[in-house]
Amino acid sequence: MRRLWLPGGLVLLVVLVALAAPLLGLPDPIRQDVARRLAGPMPGSPLGRDEFGRDVLSRLVWGARASLTVAFASAAIACVVGTLLGLLGGWFRGLGEFFAVRSMDVLLCFPPVLLALLVVTLLGPGSGTLILVLAALYLPGFVRVTWAEVLSARSHDYVEAVRALGAPTHRILLRTVLPNIAGPVLVQLSLAVASAVVLESGLSFLGLGVVPPEPSWGLMIRGARGTMAQAPLLLLWPCLALSLTILAMNLLCDALRDAADPRTAPAAPPRWVDRLLPGLLPPPRADAVLSMQGLTIEIVTPRGTIRPVEDVSLSVRAGETLAVVGESGSGKSLTALAAMGLLPPAARPVAGAAWFQGRDLLRLEEAEHRRLRGSAIAMVFQDPMSSLNPVHRIGDQVAEAIRAHQPLSARAARARAVDLLRRTGIADPDRRARAFPHELSGGMRQRVMIAMAIANRPALLIADEPTTALDVTVQAQILDLLAGLQRETGMALVFITHNLGVVAEIADRVTVLYAGQVVEEGTVAEVFGAPLHPYTAALLAAVPEGDGMAAGIPGTVPPPQDLPPGCRFAPRCPHAAPACDAPQLLAERAGRAVRCTRADELALAA
Amino acid sequence: MIWAAQRLAVSLLLVWCVASIVFLAIHLVPGDPAELLLSSGGVAPDPAAVAELRERLGLDRPLLDQYVAFLAGLPRGDLGASLVDDYPVLDEILLRLPRTLELIGAGALLAVLIGIPAGTRAALHRGGAFDRFASALAALLLAVPVFVVGTLLVLVFAQMLRWMPAGGYVPLAQDPGRHLLLLSLPALAIGKGLVAVVFRMTRTAVLDMLARDHVRTARAKGLPPGRILRRHVVRNALTPVLTVLALQMGSLLGGTVLVEYVFNWPGLSTPLLRAVEARDYPMVVGIVLVISALFVLLNLVMDLIYALLDPRVRRA
Repeated sequence: MRRLWLPGGLVLLVVLVALAAPLLGLPDPIRQDVARRLAGPMPGSPLGRDEFGRDVLSRLVWGARASLTVAFASAAIACVVGTLLGLLGGWFRGLGEFFAVRSMDVLLCFPPVLLALLVVTLLGPGSGTLILVLAALYLPGFVRVTWAEVLSARSHDYVEAVRALGAPTHRILLRTVLPNIAGPVLVQLSLAVASAVVLESGLSFLGLGVVPPEPSWGLMIRGARGTMAQAPLLLLWPCLALSLTILAMNLLCDALRDAADPRTAPAAPPRWVDRLLPGLLPPPRADAVLSMQGLTIEIVTPRGTIRPVEDVSLSVRAGETLAVVGESGSGKSLTALAAMGLLPPAARPVAGAAWFQGRDLLRLEEAEHRRLRGSAIAMVFQDPMSSLNPVHRIGDQVAEAIRAHQPLSARAARARAVDLLRRTGIADPDRRARAFPHELSGGMRQRVMIAMAIANRPALLIADEPTTALDVTVQAQILDLLAGLQRETGMALVFITHNLGVVAEIADRVTVLYAGQVVEEGTVAEVFGAPLHPYTAALLAAVPEGDGMAAGIPGTVPPPQDLPPGCRFAPRCPHAAPACDAPQLLAERAGRAVRCTRADELALAA
Repeated sequence: MIWAAQRLAVSLLLVWCVASIVFLAIHLVPGDPAELLLSSGGVAPDPAAVAELRERLGLDRPLLDQYVAFLAGLPRGDLGASLVDDYPVLDEILLRLPRTLELIGAGALLAVLIGIPAGTRAALHRGGAFDRFASALAALLLAVPVFVVGTLLVLVFAQMLRWMPAGGYVPLAQDPGRHLLLLSLPALAIGKGLVAVVFRMTRTAVLDMLARDHVRTARAKGLPPGRILRRHVVRNALTPVLTVLALQMGSLLGGTVLVEYVFNWPGLSTPLLRAVEARDYPMVVGIVLVISALFVLLNLVMDLIYALLDPRVRRA
């Protein structure tokens, strides 16, 4: 909102000066005084006199009046007529829509200045003609904006509801639709006024707008051009007045548009803070491909720093599948992105380590991390449609992944890409390689993503909900594919999901996350057979069995800025007790781990 | 193919609408062209002379006949002859249109060469010094009207520094160096708005692309940053940028009038302005028609290029 003040004030000043022109006691802007032709500043004429000896300051002020009259009048006419046409076209559809909206296409066929010249030819120059021309030029903008808004408003529930109640059309239009389109129409109005000032001055400059001797900024520039060798300042004043006015109007338009569109909020720049020194944490497990310890991620938000991931440890061995399970908001995706070095700019790891092939992924140089990404560590994302680049052929996108890490010719990489597509079960890979992502089915696209991920024989593959966006039957095929590829290559697989059925099918071990913390860890058989944490038990109980309905867990995951001080699951836990108010620690229990003080006393059924 | 044919048919229909509107507007507005042409200084013209001119121009025939004759002439490229000097309108247009197009092309070249790299850089270092400076400059360039920039350029470079003449034109074949020198100032004036618009659009589109999933995929593949920028960010951002550029170029088809006037560049607008003042109807109609048809054609070509850049459009 602060951005509105300066340009808004400037525009207001110009408007007020133009309105008050007759009250300011300035000399007559039209009276000529050839004896004082091109005279410099003098008493009564602080800016001097022009080529006919007329007072420059007075002509500037009265010129503002002429420009603004034309601009506001034409924009207002266009706004009223255009909004009406758009309302009618949007509401009645059919023939009304055709004439109201399609006729605008014809109007848009004329470049603006050209249409103005044509009308001026027919009607002769003058302020009246200008207003008419400019109104016609801005008409399509208003019609389009209103029409589009009505179409979207029509489908809103509340408009449907009022219609169903039998309210007459004109009342619906006035009461429900008009207030909703006020914002966009206001933005359009400010745009029209600003651009009308530009066009008015341009046409007047050509001698086709305001008729001399009436003052106008365009005419003043036209006049001063002739004498620019003797009096360059005469050129400067109207240029300055015109440009500043338009600049202020444009800035006001931008500010208005941003105010009307809440999506454009500026993001906070990332802050660099020293991370914890490495070596304070226990050494990595010798046989693990990835061993993550105590990972904590902070995000600086306008309302304070939050920790969506806190003290998360997990590890996975070669040939093993680790499932990371949790509801949305549990921090599982951020954990994976941290290992990839792909955290969003606002998020940074502040504690912990992620050991991979003897290196801590959290402390790698970007260039080093890049060499690992796509080769030793690869990732498959949730939505294969948006994760593939829509403008490149899929064969090229796979080949690109190969050539990023292997010195292959384009031809050889292409042949390898086709081979990879075949390995991921894509029929007719030669032809499919030339397809664009939108020409493939969802399951096919995910196979392409997997082909890309395994292109350089990764030691670790992270799959972030790779089947969530797919059909149930396709889900099973993709799971089979991943399991088969893992058997062939012996890679470690981290499988992120909220679907426990998938976990049982594919995983060896499971790590359960809740509100950014690990709450339970163990083999799938142990954890599913005898859950130690009430949250795990609740998750398992929520899985629908046979035809039974899913029980669901009452309540929601607490947001990271509003975590309970003790056990984070306590507010939703059927077993909550006073002991749960204290912070919970992750405790080892016979090769498993659980974050619950009452784990020993509870006998949880699967 | 069917899609392209449909677009072509719609375009032809639009051109026909434009031609009809221009024709009707000229003939339905009160005032007899012949009378206007012959009257000078408020003296009523000789009725016999008016009648003779009306007959020569075919203005005495029924409106429908004139309309049919006008439409029949269009496919043959017959746009009539100037009322002032009898010169065929089409020849005049063919002589001057290339010069106008050259001006627009030079401005668009500036926009692509400056606007796209600057917009990309501003987006990559969003909120940084370059971004703030370039964004402010773009706002300023958009605010200063084109004839003001032109006039100030003349004032500074021709009047004060005396580096080059205030305006004029020399054919490329006659003196390439001088041709380019004379082209430079008008091209700058035309290009300033295009550069600003392309800069803004590129900045927005690149910022949008940087947040897309497919860019994250490209990073996950371990591609070098330069390649990600070229193939997965800028390449995808080109579609909206070029669309905006084409729209702007289209509106420039008529908008060069001001620049050609300021720099005395003998493009299409000189005869247009002269014809407007002299009420030389065939000339005005011809030029407006040709420019509008070009405008429609440009939009058509742009749609086709759009389909080339974005494979998803092709199927629709």
